[in-house]
Formats: sequence, structure tokens, C-alpha cells
Amino acid sequence: MKSVINSKKIMLIMITLLLFIPISVLLVWSFSRLWPSEALFPNKLGLRGWSYLLSPRSKVFSSLAVSLFISFVVTVLGLILSIPAGKALGQLNFPGKNIIEVLILAPIIIPTITIGMGIHIVFIKWGLADKILGVILVQLPLVLPYGVRIFASVFKALGEKWEEQAKTLKANVWQGFWYVVFPLIRPGIIGASILMFNVSFSQYFLTFLIGGGNVNTLPLLLFPFINGGDRVIASGIGLVFIIISLVFMFLLEKALGKGNDNSIGNFYYL
Amino acid sequence: MKNAWFKAYLYLIPALTVILVFFLGGFVLAIIQSLGYFPLIGQNEFTFKYYTQVLTSREFLNSLSFTFYIAFVSTIISTVMGTFLAYYFLKLAVKESLVRFFYKLPIAIPHLVTALMLVFLLGQGGILSRLLIKLGLISGTASFPAFFYSKNALGIILIYIWKEIPFITFMVYLVMRNIHSRLGEAATTLNASSSQVFRYITLPLSMPSIISASAIVFAFSFGAFEVPYLLGATYPKTLSVWAYLNYISADWGARPLSMVINIIISLVCALLILVYYLASKKYLRRWG
Repeated sequence: MKSVINSKKIMLIMITLLLFIPISVLLVWSFSRLWPSEALFPNKLGLRGWSYLLSPRSKVFSSLAVSLFISFVVTVLGLILSIPAGKALGQLNFPGKNIIEVLILAPIIIPTITIGMGIHIVFIKWGLADKILGVILVQLPLVLPYGVRIFASVFKALGEKWEEQAKTLKANVWQGFWYVVFPLIRPGIIGASILMFNVSFSQYFLTFLIGGGNVNTLPLLLFPFINGGDRVIASGIGLVFIIISLVFMFLLEKALGKGNDNSIGNFYYL
Repeated sequence: MKNAWFKAYLYLIPALTVILVFFLGGFVLAIIQSLGYFPLIGQNEFTFKYYTQVLTSREFLNSLSFTFYIAFVSTIISTVMGTFLAYYFLKLAVKESLVRFFYKLPIAIPHLVTALMLVFLLGQGGILSRLLIKLGLISGTASFPAFFYSKNALGIILIYIWKEIPFITFMVYLVMRNIHSRLGEAATTLNASSSQVFRYITLPLSMPSIISASAIVFAFSFGAFEVPYLLGATYPKTLSVWAYLNYISADWGARPLSMVINIIISLVCALLILVYYLASKKYLRRWG
């Protein structure tokens, strides 16, 4: 028994190390001042990296603002589109349901590079290229599979009885949704928002191609640093990325109550 | 009945419109352009010649096998490790909140940041090489094995599995947990050993979800662009990088080639998902 407990401990410690060593390397780099190329630890720590990152010259704040704006709009639009679609797929039967399910899953399967390069020419023609609007529209299909799947399972579990109750009580469609359905699907809204926001927030290629260098999000700012350049600055940007994703996850789960509903835990992405 | 159909379509129209216009539209346009239809440079006819050109080039086979190698190795490693970890977490009754935390952290971190972290760790001037030099195991950074920009693509594979193992672990963990709570006890009362329970009950029953999780992982690694573009070898290139280089080429005639490569990538991904889907159905029939 004791050896089992020990091996469990060792396992958990190893996993924790594998997860945290890379992150702590970023942390140390971002606070280093002098780190000779063969030294294991920096000779001097300092705030050069962070003071640069926090100054307007670094473009961290402007990229962050653009990133947050795009991901916020994509998430809200994604919710608006996937709630009714999830309701239809979760509660109703109709001809062509299988095909529609496959269609909605397609953005997980077909790589974004194919879509981006294929649609670019039309986006130029329609005047959507190089604009935030274009980036939002091209990202939107990517988040829908996650939202629709979550709401389909939420509505399936819910059944239609609640809305019928609301109808018997003479609530109109809006009242029925707002006072009855909305509170019931709230865990789904939290789960879907977290996923959709994160998918959009990490997106590089489509933003780069359709945004054409005019829409500068955080991933675009980080991109050139992976190949080389100032490691202190690069680690700082990487950490900003990690912090934002974690803060968003944390805030949503705390602010909106229990988000760890088991039915929601079933949806994940890469 | 008809009324319910109408209602369902009405609910679906907004989401479907977005997917049809901005996603499937892009796919169809890629197909059309791969067939050489390109009015902008005066090509108004459909032709298969770009397909022959790509499929018969030497670069194609090299690029395909390189891409396949990366996707295959990272999928196998993440699937085996992920399944093992899921089972391990369950068997040792690791707290679920801890499992969720282990899974969420890597999920929240984008591939680009993972790439940055692993370059700092495993790159030629990275922490690991410094450690080995300090320990006297290697003489200098030059004798440190190349993880990046190399043909073995080890660094790329490690970046993928750092993200993919948690993904598969969690997906399989949830399914295994359900199976265990329902069937595990019954089997134990029948005097099955824990390895028998795993072999004859837990593993076969979680097979469909293991298969579908690894299909998603494979499709992702096969079509991914950023990481191999930044950290891949000069030659061979992955299909995605090769497509992109053709796309940005100053020669407009290379664009149809880029579309052909894109269509091939998408077809491989779609085909694989189909095979896996059928396989999982078969499993479901056999074990369900």
C-alpha cells in the first residue's frame, strides 16, 4: 500500500514538474537582466523586460486590446448562433440532421490553412481583408463546433418540459427564454464561452492571413520571437498570454457560479 | 411534425449560414482554384494539370511522409501516454479537481507559447543544454542534439504532445470514470483482478473515445502550420508549410499548386476521421 502511495506521489510530482518547469523558465527569463549564454541561472535579475513590455513602445497593450476585442465579439456571436442551433440538434428531429451535424463539426477536421488560403481572394474582393471585421468573420466558424456541441447536450438533458411550463404560465417567448431557459443553460454558456474565447484568442494563421498585417493580435506579436530575438521580451509576452487565458478561465467560472458541470467537462479542444 | 422541422431549420439557419459561407465557401474556393480556375491571371478553364504536377513531384512524397511522420509519432505517443495516465489517475483515485487542473493548464496555453517555452528549454542555447554542459556530459552547445530545425522534428513532436497528452488524458478519463463506476465493481465481485478489469472491460469500452480523441489529434497535427513553419527543417517541409510557400510565391502560377496541396491535406484529414469513425462504430457494435 505504501509503495502505491509513493508511486502516486512521484507520478503527480513528475506531472507537475513537466507542466511547470517550462513556465518557470519563462518566468525567470522575463525577470532576468544578465544571463550569459552558458550560465544555468541569470547573473542579475531586473525589470528591463517588464518595464519595456508595460511601455507603449512594446505594443503589448494595443495588441492585447485588439485580441480581447476580437475574441470577445467572436465569443458573443458564437453564443448567439450556437444556442438556437444546439437547441435544434439537441431537442428536435428533422430530415438531414446527420449531414448538418457533420457540417457543424467540419471546422474541427479541415485545417484552417486550407480555408484561409481558399477564402482570402473573396475577402479581398468583398473588402473584408485587412480588417478586424474580416478576422472576426473568418474566426467565427472555428468556434461554432464547440458551442453547438455543448448546447446540444445541454438542451438534450434539459428536455422541452420547462418551456412548456413557461407557456402554460402564459409567458411570451422572450420571458420563457429569459426567466426559464437562460438560468437552466447557464453552465453551458460558461463552458462554451471559455472554449470559444480560448480558441479565438490563440488563433494565429487566419488572423495573420486575413488581417494582412493590419490586425495585430497578441499571437502575431509573439510569433517572430519564437525563432530568436530578445528572450527577455519574448518570455514576457508569453507570460502575458498565459496570464490572460488563466484569468479569463478563472473569472468566468467564479463570476457565473458553477462552471464545472460534468456535462460541460465533456467538451475540449486542442 | 412539419412544424417541428420548420422550427429546427429556423434555429439552425444562422449558424449554418456562417459555416457555409465562411468555412465551406473557403473550402469550395480552394477546390476551384486547385483546378486552375483563376480569372485574375486570365485562367478560365478547369484542368487537372496542377494535381499531376504536385503528385508527380519528388518533393511531394518527401513532404507527405515528413508530415505523416510528425502526425503519426505525436498521435501514437499522446494516445498511449494519455490512456495510461487516464487509467492511472482513476486507479489511484487522484482528486478530480487536480486532474481538471492538470488538463486545463496546457489547454489554456496556446501552441505558440508552448513552442516558445520548449525552445527555451530544449533549444541549442536552452536550459537543458546548459545543464548538460555544467554536468560535463557534453562539451559545448554544438554537441547538444538538435531538437529544432532538424529532420527528426523531435522538437515539433514534443510541442504537440505537451498539448495533446492532457487532451487525450482528460477525454479518456471521463469515459473510464463512467465505466468504472458502473462495471468495475461488478467485475471485482466476480473476482477479476485489476489488470483483467482493465484489459477486458475498461480498455475495450473506452476504445471508441480513445479512437476519436486520437483522430482529432492526428488531424490537427497533420494540418498544423505555425510550429513546423517556425521550427521545421529547411528540407523536407510539411505539406502545410509547402502550401504556404507556394501561396506567397511571387509567381502567381504557383497559387493553384498551393491549393492542390491544401486539398490533399484536407482530404487526408477527412479520410482519417471517416476511417476512425467507422472503426469506432465497429467497436461499439462489438463491445456495446
